[in-house]
This record gives sequence, C-alpha cells and structure tokens, in this order.
Amino acid sequence: MSRYDLVDIQTNPGPFPALTMLSRCIRAEGQKLKHSLIFPACIIIPVIPAIMGSFNYLQNIGILKSQWYSLWTQFTLFYSTFFYAPLIALYCSYMWRLEHRNNNWNVFMSTPVSIPSLYLGKLAVIFYVTVITQTWVGFLYFTAGKLIGLPGLCPLEIIFWLFRGTAAAVAIGALQLLLSMVIRSFSVPIGIALIGSVMGMLISNKGLGLAWPYSLMLMGMNSNKTTNSLAGSGLPFITSALFFFLLFYLIAIWILRTKDVRT
Amino acid sequence: MSLPIIRQLSAEQKKARHRKIWLVPLGFFLFEVIWMLWILTTAHAKELVTGYLMLFYQLPILNTVILSLMITVIASRLSDMEIKGDTLKLLYTMQRPAGFFDCKYVAGTKYLLFFTAGHGMLIPVYGKIFGFGTPLKISMLFSYLAVTLCTSMILLAIQQTLSLISNSQFLPLIVGLAGSFLGLFSLFFPAPVARLVIWGYFAAFPCVEMDWNRDTRIIQYNEVSFPLYAFFAFAAAGIFIYGICRTITVKKEV
Repeated sequence: MSRYDLVDIQTNPGPFPALTMLSRCIRAEGQKLKHSLIFPACIIIPVIPAIMGSFNYLQNIGILKSQWYSLWTQFTLFYSTFFYAPLIALYCSYMWRLEHRNNNWNVFMSTPVSIPSLYLGKLAVIFYVTVITQTWVGFLYFTAGKLIGLPGLCPLEIIFWLFRGTAAAVAIGALQLLLSMVIRSFSVPIGIALIGSVMGMLISNKGLGLAWPYSLMLMGMNSNKTTNSLAGSGLPFITSALFFFLLFYLIAIWILRTKDVRT
Repeated sequence: MSLPIIRQLSAEQKKARHRKIWLVPLGFFLFEVIWMLWILTTAHAKELVTGYLMLFYQLPILNTVILSLMITVIASRLSDMEIKGDTLKLLYTMQRPAGFFDCKYVAGTKYLLFFTAGHGMLIPVYGKIFGFGTPLKISMLFSYLAVTLCTSMILLAIQQTLSLISNSQFLPLIVGLAGSFLGLFSLFFPAPVARLVIWGYFAAFPCVEMDWNRDTRIIQYNEVSFPLYAFFAFAAAGIFIYGICRTITVKKEV
C-alpha cells in the first residue's frame, strides 16, 4: 500500500469505509505478488498431475470405463490428496514471509486500516490465486480429455466439483494463513499441510471428513470417485467449510489484536 | 583462514538452538506411526501373516511423498537463517565456503539419521504388537533403511543447495513439492524414465514385489533379491551429485 493510498483512506474513505479499506488492502497485497514466483507455481505444479493423470488413464483404459469421470479420478487422485493443500500453504507462506522479514510487521500493524481488513486482504488474494489454479486445472482436464479423444464436452457435474473444491479452499486458506502468521518459518506450514492432507484422506475414509478441514478439499473435489460422494450432504459440507473459515479467521484476528508483534 | 571442523559443527549446532527443527522429523515420524497403525489395523488376517513384506512394499511409496517434503522443510529451516540474516558474507571471512556447506549438510543429516533409526525400531515393534506370521529378515530391514537414508541424503544435498542459492525459499519449496509429485508418479513410469526422477528412488530398489490377482482380488507379497550393485551405483552417483551441489554453492557470489 503506498503512502498516497493511506492519505486517501484517511481523507476520502468513501461511503463504506470498511469496504474501501478492504479493497485497498486487497490491492496492496496484490501488488506484493508482482514479479513473485507464485504465478509460475500455480501454472507449473498442476501440469504434473495433468500429464501423469492422463498417462495413468491411458495405461488403464481397459479398467477405466467411465470416460470423463474416469479421467477425473486419475486427475484428482494425487492432486487433491497430496498437493492441493500444500500448494495453498505455499501461497500463504509467501504472503506472510514478506511481513516476517526485516521490520515489516511494525509497518503492517501500524497501517491505518482495521485488522480484519489486513487479514481478509491476504485471504482474498490467496483465494484469487486459488481460483486461477483451479481454473487452470479445469482447463488442463478438458484439454487432456480432448487430446485423449473423449467424446463431447466434460460433464457439468465435474465443473461443479471443481467449484466445490475451490469453495473448500476458503477454509484451508484461513487455516494456512493463520499457521503461516504464527509460525515464522516458510516451509513448516507447508509440511503441516501435507500431513493434514494425507490424514484428511484417512479421516474421510472413516466417514468423518466434515470434521477435518483438510478432508473438505478431497470431498469437495470428489477426489478419485466417479459418483458424487456428497450427494445429499451439500449443506453439511458448506456449513463445515464456513465453520472452519470463521473459526480460523476469528483466532487469527484475536491473535493479531492481542499479541505483540515480534520483528 | 578456517576454523577446525569441530568448531564449525558446534557453531551449526548452536545456530539450531531454540529453532525446534527436530519437531519437523518428529512430526513426520508420528505421522508415519499413525499411517502404519492404520494400514495394519485395516489389514486382513491373511495379509498380517506377511506383514513385514507388506510394510516393506508400502513404506517406500509413502516415503516418496512424505520424505521429499520433509527434507525440503529441514533444508529450508537450516539454510533460511543464513539467507534472512544475510550472514554468508560474514561467515565466509572465517570459514571456507566448502566447509560451511559440509557442516550445514552434517547438521541436516543428523535429523535424517534419527528419522531412519526411528523407522528401524518401529517396524519390528509393530511386528511384535500385531504378531506377524513370518519373522523379520534383518537384511531386508537394513536394505530398506539404507535406501531410505541414501536417497534422503542425496535429496538433502539438492535441497540445501537450492535453499542456499535462492534469496527466497519459494523456489526450493516448489522444487520439493513438484519433486514429491514427480517421484510418486515416476512409480508408474517405465523403468528407464523412472530412473531419471531422483525423488522416486525411495521405491526404486524394491526387496518386495506385489502380485495382485484381478479375478480373486487377492494381494500377495513376494520377496525379491535386493539389487545391490544398482544401489551401489546410485550411492556413487549420490557422491557425485553432492560434489556438484557443493561446487554450485561455493561458486555463488555473496
């Protein structure tokens, strides 16, 4: 956020000061991402499961009979289970790394905007990058399907699963932002995300996925399944994602408000 | 001018104080404890007869995903302090860059040794608890541990180099994450292609093979002879890779 923006907020907050603050924070966080490696990461990493998923599909075409749905199982098998959450964790770690370096915490906390705006600004940018990642995954899936020679367009249901997986990322984004804020290491929260994801697979296999935030991504993406595993459970899924989002958001705000910064 | 090696190692030990780096391998180890427990509690009684073979087949696959990232995190934690503090200029006035790299590497290897030793103890303990039908072959356990440690050490050299030469820890983490992904998928590649993916080497020297009967849906694990010469060749390549990594780091302008 530039000095001129701050002056502008104080002198011309607009009809909705809270929204003005938030939009400025989002813009400032977006500027911090310029020339960063986040965008190459969100493009390159999903290419790997795309190639491998398609390869695996072609290798097992005799067993995998459900065409677009079968290709989806191969795409999401490893992407959702092992790499989706660590990828979001990578984005979150990068967002906080800038504040952890030098004396940026002091600048960050003394900015004349509300603490929820600061946190939500980061979360909004994480969500934006996640949407790009998921859109890219969807594009790769469709392209791979056509290159393989699958007929017609991919089922709309799969687009919905992709969207649902993106919605679950809000809860994980809030959690990982909280972890990266508290843990000053760049890499440790990413390791936690990987362990959380793998445990998420075990927990969702036990039928307790809604109680574990990392399972929500697998369930939302309908990972490695050809039929909708959340049929009739849409509302509990959304409730769970909202609950975890609010929980981690409130904890983060409480920490930011009550704990002294360490620079 | 350079400090004696013991003092350099002691300096690395002191730098790691209060950074709780040991929590990283401990966390991953506890995760593997839970994972194995889950595998064994959900296994059929017939599978438990060949419980050791089942573990020696499944653990290398899990290691491909888990250990790649654990090593990335350890290397990043150890190297990031130098990048954040911009300490290399100062350190290189007192320490030879190559010596610095070696000591940093030893500091990281210590955690890998503890992790591998933990595995070595955990497998027989689970065997006793779950009453596996066949006895544990010590040679099989050691070959599994040797492959795990050797691959981990080679990956540590690569990740440490990346962490020391990049100003941001973003690049090493992307490489670690992508490597973990590639390693897992390399298990499905034809062997000549899979050999090009270093992250997949945790499972490249199997001492167990799986035979899945599609009609009866029964899984059977069979022992195969450990490819000793291929493993020695890999270890030799590891020394070469370490040398390249060290040269790259030493030549980096600070």
